[in-house]
Amino acid sequence: MKELSRAQIRDLMGEVLKNQGKALPADDAADLREVGFRSLDFSELALRVEDATGEELNFDAPGLRRIATVGDVLDFLVELQRQ
Amino acid sequence: MSVETAAPAPVHPAGADNRIVVDGATLTWRDLPELTLPEPVAALAHSARYALAAARHHAVHGTELLLSTASRVDAAMRAELRDAGFAVTELDAPTAGDATAPAARAAEPGRLWLLTSGSTGRPKRVGHTLESLTTVRGQQPARTWLCPYAPGTYAWWQVVTLSLTQPGQHLVVVEPDQLDDWPALAAEHGVDAASGTPTFWRRALHRDPAGLARVPLRQLTLGGEPVDQTILDRLREVFPAARISWIYASSEVGAAIVVHDGRAGFPVDWLDRAAPGRPTIGVRDGELVITSPYHGAGLDGPVRTGDRAQVSGDRVLITGRLDADEINVGGSKVSAGVVRDVLTAHPQVAWARVTGRRAPLLGHMVVAEVVPTAGAKLDEATLVRWCADQLPEYAVPRRIRVLTEIPVKETLKSDV
Repeated sequence: MKELSRAQIRDLMGEVLKNQGKALPADDAADLREVGFRSLDFSELALRVEDATGEELNFDAPGLRRIATVGDVLDFLVELQRQ
Repeated sequence: MSVETAAPAPVHPAGADNRIVVDGATLTWRDLPELTLPEPVAALAHSARYALAAARHHAVHGTELLLSTASRVDAAMRAELRDAGFAVTELDAPTAGDATAPAARAAEPGRLWLLTSGSTGRPKRVGHTLESLTTVRGQQPARTWLCPYAPGTYAWWQVVTLSLTQPGQHLVVVEPDQLDDWPALAAEHGVDAASGTPTFWRRALHRDPAGLARVPLRQLTLGGEPVDQTILDRLREVFPAARISWIYASSEVGAAIVVHDGRAGFPVDWLDRAAPGRPTIGVRDGELVITSPYHGAGLDGPVRTGDRAQVSGDRVLITGRLDADEINVGGSKVSAGVVRDVLTAHPQVAWARVTGRRAPLLGHMVVAEVVPTAGAKLDEATLVRWCADQLPEYAVPRRIRVLTEIPVKETLKSDV
C-alpha cells in the first residue's frame, strides 16, 4: 500500500484550506479553530488521503483523542494509514 | 348508388404514409419489412428498422407484443419471458427464433409490454396498449421528429405512436452509432422536432453548438431526467423561436406532466387538481404521487413515483430519485439535485453529477463530477467557491472531478 508522508499530507491540508480561501500556517502548533479548519475540512482531507493512496481509512481503529492543532491532524492521519 | 366492397385488407394505421428515415433509407411505414410473429411474442430487435416493423405489425394486427433491443435481454430474462408465455424471437438475427417452447397461455390481443429501464434492479414488465401509450392526440402541426431512443422504451413508443397514429408526423431514427453526430443527420433530413433527455441535449450543446443550431428545430422536448432551468435557458439561446417543453412521463404512469412555459418545474396550482381524463398530481412526504388515466396495467390509483418533489415559490421542482437524491452530511440533509442545478448554472459547466461519498466524522460528503463547456478551463477551487456562494457549507461539494466527456447510457440518461 502506498503511504503518504507527513509532508505530503500537509500539502493536501494546504489545498483543502486554499479551496476555502484560507491559508495553512507553517507552525504545526497552530490552533485549528484559529486556522478555520473544521470537521468538513477534516473529512475532505481524509478523502484526499484516500484518493492519493487508493485505500479507505479506518476511523474506528484508533482510540478517541483530542485534535486541536495542525500537528494533531497530521499525526492522526499518518497513524491512521498504518492501521 | 352502390358501393363495391373488396375483401377485407389489413387496416393500416392513420400515419402509415408518414416518411421514415432509418439506417440511411427514406421510406414509409408501409415499406417496412412484413413480419410473421407468433403470439404472445417477445420480439428482440437488432436494428431500428425491424423494431419499427414490429410496432407497425402490432398496430395492424394487435398481436400481444413485448418489444426490446436484443442487448437489453439477457439469458435469465429470456427464460423469465418464456415462463411468462412469450415466444422469444430475434427479429433480424441470422439465427432467428428460439427453439425453447414458451409456457402455454392464451394471448391477450392489443396488449403491449414494456421493460422498464431497470435503474433500480432488474427490468420489469409493465402492460400497456397502443391507446395508453398514445398521449399526443388532436390535430398537430406537421413535424419531422427525431427518434434517438432505444427501441421498446417508453420514450421510443411516445415518438413512434405519434408517427403511427397521426398523418404528417414523420420520423428520423438515430442509430446508436450516430448518437454523437445526430445534429448532422437531423439537419440533412429537415428534423424540426426532437425529444431527448437533458443529458442528450447537454451532450449536443457540448459537442457542437453550431451544428445543433443548424437543425431547424421548432419543437424541443426534454424528459426522463430532472429538467433544470439552465438547460432550458441554454436551449432557448440556440432556438429563440422554438417551443421548448418538458414532460414528466414513465412507463408506470404514462405522460403525466407537460410544461411549455420554458420554466423548470410546474405551477404549484396544478397540485391536487382533479379533472376528467387528466392525471392528478400530488406531493406526499416529498415524493411525487400521480394518479393517471394513462397508467400501466394494474397501476390504477395513486402511484408513488419514487421521485423527489419540492415546492419552490410558485413552482414544484422535481429534483431526482428519492433513494439517490438525499445525502446526509453529518445530520444535515442535502438534495443532490439542488447541488447539481447550482453546478450546471455555472457558465462554464456543461454537465454535472452529484453524489454522496462515505466520509469520516460526517457519514457522507457531497462530491461531484463535471464536464466543462468547450474550451473552458475549470478547476476545483473555482467551482467550490461558486457553490459556497449559493449553498450551505455542508452542501458544497468538496471533491470535484473534471471529466472530458458527458457519460451516457442506452437510455440517454446519465444520472439515474
